[in-house]
Amino acid sequence: MKGELKELSLTINGKPYELKVKAMTLLVELLRNELKLTGTKVGCLDSACGACTVNIDGKAVRSCSVLALQANGRKVTTIEGVSDSDKLHPIQQAMIDHGAIECGFCTPGMVMSAKALLAENPNPTRDEIREAIQGNLCADEGYVKYIEAIEIAAKEMRGGK
Amino acid sequence: MAETKSEVFGNFSILGKAIPRVDARAKVTGEAKYAADYEFADMLWGQIKRSPYPHARILNIDTSKAERLPGVKAVTTGKDFGGFKWGWSGPTRDEEPLAVEKVRYLYEGVAAVAAVDEDTANEACDLIEVEYEPLPGVFDVLEAMKPGAPLVHENRPGNICVEYHWNFGDVDKAFAESYLVREDTFQTPRMAKGYLEPPAVVSYWPDSNHVVYIGAKGSPYFPYRLLSRCFNLPLSNVRIITPIIGSDFGGTKNDMTPADYSAVMLAKKTGRPVKIVTSQYDVLTTDLRRHPMWLTVKTGVTKDGILKATYLKAVADGGAYTRMSPLTMMLTGCLTTLPYKLPNYKYDCYNYFTNNPSSAAMRGHGLYHSRFAADVQLDMIAEELGLDPVEIRMKNAIENPEPGKVYTAVNDVHVATCGVQECIEKVAEAVNWKARKGKKKVEGSKAYGMGFAAATYNSGTKLSAHNACAAIIRVCEDGSVNYLTGATDVGQGSDTIMCAIAAEVLGIGLEDIDLKRVDTAFTPVDPGSYGSRVTVLAGQAARNAALDVKQQLLEVAAQQFGVKPEDVEIKNKQVFVKSNPTRNMSWERLVRTACYDTPGKVIIGRGYSTQGISLLGLADFSKGVGDIGTNYSFTAEANEVEVDTETGVVKCTDNSVIAHDCGFPLNTQAVESQVQGGAYHQGIAAAIYEEFKMDSGQTLNANLIDYKRPRAYEAPMTQVIHVLTNDPYGPFGAKEASEGSCCSAPPAIVNAIYNATGVWIKDLPTQPEKVFWALKAKKEEKKGRKKK
Amino acid sequence: MIADFEYFAPKTVKEALSLLSQYKEAKIIAGGQSLLVVLKQRLFSPEYLIDIKGISALDYINYEEGKGLRIGALTPHRTIEKSPVIQKYFPVLSEMENNIATIQTRNWGTIGGNICHGDPAGDPAPVFIALKAKLKLASLGGERVIDMQEFSKDYLEVALDPGEMLSEIQIPKPAPHTGTAHDKLMVMKGDMGIIGAAVSIVLDSKGKCEDARIVLSNAASVPLRAGKAEKKLIGKVLNDALLAEAGELASAEADPPADVHGSAEYRREMVKVFVRRAAAKALERARAA
Repeated sequence: MKGELKELSLTINGKPYELKVKAMTLLVELLRNELKLTGTKVGCLDSACGACTVNIDGKAVRSCSVLALQANGRKVTTIEGVSDSDKLHPIQQAMIDHGAIECGFCTPGMVMSAKALLAENPNPTRDEIREAIQGNLCADEGYVKYIEAIEIAAKEMRGGK
Repeated sequence: MAETKSEVFGNFSILGKAIPRVDARAKVTGEAKYAADYEFADMLWGQIKRSPYPHARILNIDTSKAERLPGVKAVTTGKDFGGFKWGWSGPTRDEEPLAVEKVRYLYEGVAAVAAVDEDTANEACDLIEVEYEPLPGVFDVLEAMKPGAPLVHENRPGNICVEYHWNFGDVDKAFAESYLVREDTFQTPRMAKGYLEPPAVVSYWPDSNHVVYIGAKGSPYFPYRLLSRCFNLPLSNVRIITPIIGSDFGGTKNDMTPADYSAVMLAKKTGRPVKIVTSQYDVLTTDLRRHPMWLTVKTGVTKDGILKATYLKAVADGGAYTRMSPLTMMLTGCLTTLPYKLPNYKYDCYNYFTNNPSSAAMRGHGLYHSRFAADVQLDMIAEELGLDPVEIRMKNAIENPEPGKVYTAVNDVHVATCGVQECIEKVAEAVNWKARKGKKKVEGSKAYGMGFAAATYNSGTKLSAHNACAAIIRVCEDGSVNYLTGATDVGQGSDTIMCAIAAEVLGIGLEDIDLKRVDTAFTPVDPGSYGSRVTVLAGQAARNAALDVKQQLLEVAAQQFGVKPEDVEIKNKQVFVKSNPTRNMSWERLVRTACYDTPGKVIIGRGYSTQGISLLGLADFSKGVGDIGTNYSFTAEANEVEVDTETGVVKCTDNSVIAHDCGFPLNTQAVESQVQGGAYHQGIAAAIYEEFKMDSGQTLNANLIDYKRPRAYEAPMTQVIHVLTNDPYGPFGAKEASEGSCCSAPPAIVNAIYNATGVWIKDLPTQPEKVFWALKAKKEEKKGRKKK
Repeated sequence: MIADFEYFAPKTVKEALSLLSQYKEAKIIAGGQSLLVVLKQRLFSPEYLIDIKGISALDYINYEEGKGLRIGALTPHRTIEKSPVIQKYFPVLSEMENNIATIQTRNWGTIGGNICHGDPAGDPAPVFIALKAKLKLASLGGERVIDMQEFSKDYLEVALDPGEMLSEIQIPKPAPHTGTAHDKLMVMKGDMGIIGAAVSIVLDSKGKCEDARIVLSNAASVPLRAGKAEKKLIGKVLNDALLAEAGELASAEADPPADVHGSAEYRREMVKVFVRRAAAKALERARAA
């Protein structure tokens, strides 16, 4: 029935959830409005800016372009689930240390795109990094320091090699 | 090379190095709260009802159906605001929070709704019935200036919004004496501001006499004053709280929007918090954009390429309301006399009202237009005279004045430090300019060329009113420190700079300082983030406040050590007698002693900026004389482009270098990312990609797919060279970083395209189709010549 | 944001097909990368939405020497792009995928969803037509196989009957000495092509062009076969001049739209360039094959 709440069971940041949602709820609406995980940003809702990027089963996906119900049975990671409690992920640390962050609005999405990249490809070329964050618009930083920070993080994660 | 290593400048504990941002951890973990992330119990969602006509009289608004929709808690229209009008200054107050009698641009707000959720608010907007009488509109300046054209504002004849006529020296005589005089017309497009974060606001009234407004505003003291006047409240009762802000670049996040006023009005009507988040579509169709401008430049030079005179005529589309157009036209004209020596200068400008969304400030405000025109024309002149682009710039560039001396331009602009020659030399060296000898490279259909440009920008901008800016530093009894500022970090990194300056002066660590973002109930007044003013002016306030605190604590320490305050120093959180550092105590102990010993002290320091309100006299807009800036940054830039000669697609390559004289880089990393962001993202993007396409007031590419903003693949890995000039008017020698770099990029790109293809693109952006037809026309012209 | 709808998430093709036959006006959502944009703008609000993204049985890539390539309709773009089999036997598909939108879209969006959206600016359809692909359409009544070329009916309109869904894309093993290439005009990597061209060239044992397919994107309301241009090439020993002539002919056949990215006139000029470029690369591949 229309208007009926649908059952949704998924894992978010390692924690299992059993939820009831309206069918038309977008994943980003679920995360931000229902679960108050506001680290995921909404820039455009048009699949253009990438600020809402999360990882679904380890892959970068825009949470504005997925129905919440489509994440049923899947593992979702948001920016809130990236660091290991107080210890930042090497990507996060590199972005801070290298001065990659300006206004920060695109940052959560950048981290999620970079995380998915390095999980799949520990030693990416500069072009592969560019490709991985091509879907993440940045308003103010010019991408240079983001690209370099991801290179630094990749090296760190390879044990300095 | 995987990473750029930041250099270290000066002999400071904290400044002059790469300083990690104080807000970076919150931003990289998602903890940073932007306006849309705020939520309160019982909060309602607001939505704006917008006009489907770009120009129409409002005959009637019937809100009854919307009010009856279940879940709707309040509806407001412009009439609720009691005739309140607002604008950039007294004489330019021409805009209402929601249009009452007439709409002047497409999707202008005419009513607003507060409801229990977003969908209900949207539905209610659809139920508001507005009767319009559509009026003929004017959609470009050529129409607007025609006699008998429809008037956007009935009381503004000829649709003239702003005009200035300035004249310095004797341009006519200078042209007559010139060896070569060139006149060219250039065009700059309508551009989006480009912030990713759509403006959002949450407002509530704790009681009927106090309002709280939480919104993405780079100049929170603008809404502070405007809401006070609009709602007839004393300033003391208006509380503006500033969340983390997702960029601004001038315009909408300085100014107010229909959503801002409506959220406050709906909160007042309902007694509940009301939140309005603007959609990206509404941002791209209604928010302020960069002025489209037509610039005719006439320049005379000697046989050796020495500039004799420039006459600049600028015509701009100001859009529906005045907004900041008077300042835009001032900034477009007033610094044409930098960064090259120009003895004679004339400026006429006309800014017209149209039924397009309003134009306003944007990074590189004003100068972006005139510097593009002048620096491209300089290359044209160099070519005619057989001079090298770097050579002609070096010949004309202002020399760095001797310490204590000042360079005075013909229109009374005063420059104490100028690193433009050093910038030009260093960039030329970095790209091996001489070895290139202007040669282009061709590989198949790809032609490569390099272009050069230089620019300036006013830093620590001073306007006629509200320049006061202050800082308060409160030392807590455990030695931790609160920094209270009215200045607003919209992403540029000023919060970090303020903390770093305070920590440097106090001899403590950056981590010891906690910055409180603007809350007008507690923080001191500040004009906000525009005109590259924060580091230079608020930075001085930071330094003075820290010096005040330090003096208070040194007096306590002196008493403890039995010496004079000037004999004591604080460094690395140690307080010691200068002549005998073994006599020392920790910072924490000193603070505790000060606070707890009888009589216990409360350590609060205050400081304000003196530069913002004095120096060499404020600029006079009507005459175009005087200093709009406290000091002036300089840049030089070389960009290499790759032009696909079969398609017209232009790309800026990694072989791009920019040198920036920001006086002294307080935070090297932040200067680099600001310059890369300014030069690349908004300079090169403006040159190659970005333009709103319009049809009768309608924005045709109002999404971030069709409105082309370059991404990581298109980003050149621009190298940044720091040039130090230590300006006496900036804190620790600092001047602005980034707006100048935004101005040098477009001419460098256009000059590079000419170098690669022999085609001048005089109207930005250099999108593929435009370049393609220009190349084709040139080819045909060549063929034609051969036939003859 | 999106208007409400009744939602079904079948786990098998059979389940999906019986839902489709029950709810004739239902809309299928796969990855939804195109559909959700439309739903968000409320240009279209379906009563019933059948979400087939979870039917894992349609996520596969199989290659058999004799039969050729079979791609399940719900295979994500990114899987195709990264598939070693595809990179080996059909590099054009991997290259084409690499330039579709961004990784986020390719990770979630499916090849079947893309084709069924019927956007004439899309890249996969022209490439599949150039590769002589066939589509397997399933319904409760059984399966049918049609040429990819027959599938596009009009702007955003495809040849799916009510109750029918796309289940597989079948690409025959190319004839010996076949080369296929795709190129499009992008301002930024991942752009929809302002104009795009997929070209397939088959050479005979003597090096003469035995067969050619030239298919354009964003040049008409459907993916456009440039028949006259193809004829120009068939039966000849190809050279640069002939490829350029094919480009001219294709340009005359095109009826491209005009929008903020380019006028129709510019697009016709670009057809010449991209047909020539894709054809040159296809020829090079055919000669190397």
